[in-house]
Amino acid sequence: MIKLQDIRDTARDMLAKGEARAVIGYRRGSRGMLAEPAFLTRPEEADELVWDPTCFHNLSLYLVHDRKHLAHARKTAGAPVAVIAKGCDARSIVVLLQEHYFQREDVYIIGVSCEGTGVVDERKLAGHLNGAQAISAAFDGDDFVFTTAEGEKRLPAREVMADRCLECCSPFPKEHNLAFGEDKTGRQLEAPFAALDRFEAQGAGERWDNWARHFDRCIRCFACRSVCPMCYCDECVVDSITFPVTTATTAEEKASRIRWIERSAARSENITYLMTRAMHLAGRCTDCGECDRACPVNVPIRLLNNKMEKEAREQFGFEPGASIGGPSLVASFLDNDPGNFIR
Amino acid sequence: MSEQQDYEPRVVAFLCKWCSSAGSDLAGVSRIQYPANATPITVPCTGAISPMYILSAFNKGADGVLVSGCHIGDCHYLEGNYLARRKMYLIMKLLEFIGVEQNRFRMSWVSAAEGAKFAQVITDFVGDLQQLGPQDKLKRAENK
Repeated sequence: MIKLQDIRDTARDMLAKGEARAVIGYRRGSRGMLAEPAFLTRPEEADELVWDPTCFHNLSLYLVHDRKHLAHARKTAGAPVAVIAKGCDARSIVVLLQEHYFQREDVYIIGVSCEGTGVVDERKLAGHLNGAQAISAAFDGDDFVFTTAEGEKRLPAREVMADRCLECCSPFPKEHNLAFGEDKTGRQLEAPFAALDRFEAQGAGERWDNWARHFDRCIRCFACRSVCPMCYCDECVVDSITFPVTTATTAEEKASRIRWIERSAARSENITYLMTRAMHLAGRCTDCGECDRACPVNVPIRLLNNKMEKEAREQFGFEPGASIGGPSLVASFLDNDPGNFIR
Repeated sequence: MSEQQDYEPRVVAFLCKWCSSAGSDLAGVSRIQYPANATPITVPCTGAISPMYILSAFNKGADGVLVSGCHIGDCHYLEGNYLARRKMYLIMKLLEFIGVEQNRFRMSWVSAAEGAKFAQVITDFVGDLQQLGPQDKLKRAENK
């Protein structure tokens, strides 16, 4: 069991001694039970930190933001930023390090193990609370304890946990400077890719019918892109408004840029967007599941990323976020990669 | 004439400049007869083909997309086709996953000396596409 006080003490110490410029963690949010990302710069703020089943955000995203901010302000990093990272978040940081987005010494990873559980899925929880609003959530062994206006409700974690946590085999952040909680690597609540396998068991026709409905629903709000720590490109190939414009850019230049897809949220464009994103995340996505959670219209984006992860693991023996020095999926190859589909 | 016979599939063929493109040339100068449904796009190397090209071709109305390059070991840039093999495998699986017919995307190795093979690849592909009918899953509405 992780003692919250240990995390708070670490954060306070680091800020007081100047070992970290800031600590990125979670604090109680303003809505119901939900935690929200917190950016601490003063030691006395450390007591705001929380650790509960609603800490689902992948905080490595803010390392990317920080790096962009520094580049914009033309500043150098100085002391590292400390960040609280779960197993999946730590793997995201490893991918960012692999891609040299920042240096290892720029970040201090305070690892927290999800141990036997993980984070809660709000949609699953709603089905158990019968309309009641939870005001707090807590870990308790294999259970989650929720407080509602009517009192305490104890639920087995596996009934309300996010799919990605059920399927996770490495809830312990391997890459860390300091880690809290027990290492339960290899635990298995559900087989990896269980949700994907269930979806794939359908025929091609059914799969298309399902995806057509999902793609129709997408409003291209780009929430999935915004919460993704891997979507750090300044210029996004599928979004023409991100193309840089300076005072020197002529109207002709603007007009002659390749627009791979139109900005209208039509099905064909949504498909191209989501598929392109899945390809860009192949071998980089560490299955933190934030895109899926952030989607306001419930498009199961995670399945697309999962599909790529599964193929990469089964065909190429590739594990995303495994080691900082490791190769990237699409910039490496093996002699015995599958080739029998080629005529 | 039935509707089936009216339909001529549109194939976008990404051909490597060093082999398949030359292979298609050889098919031409050897006067081999094959369907004229493919629009060739010459690329420097199959390794330079972004999966986005394929999605974009479907988006703009292609019924089938062909990627053709040098045999393994023969890449002009030594390893471009190895990288392509991986990337194309992934995009193929992704297309299959969302329910696009498997026969809409094809990859082949055609060397500069294999004019006859190139003709055969196109003939087979067009034959398969003829059976599938028009592709309208990924096609942009205004192109329908």
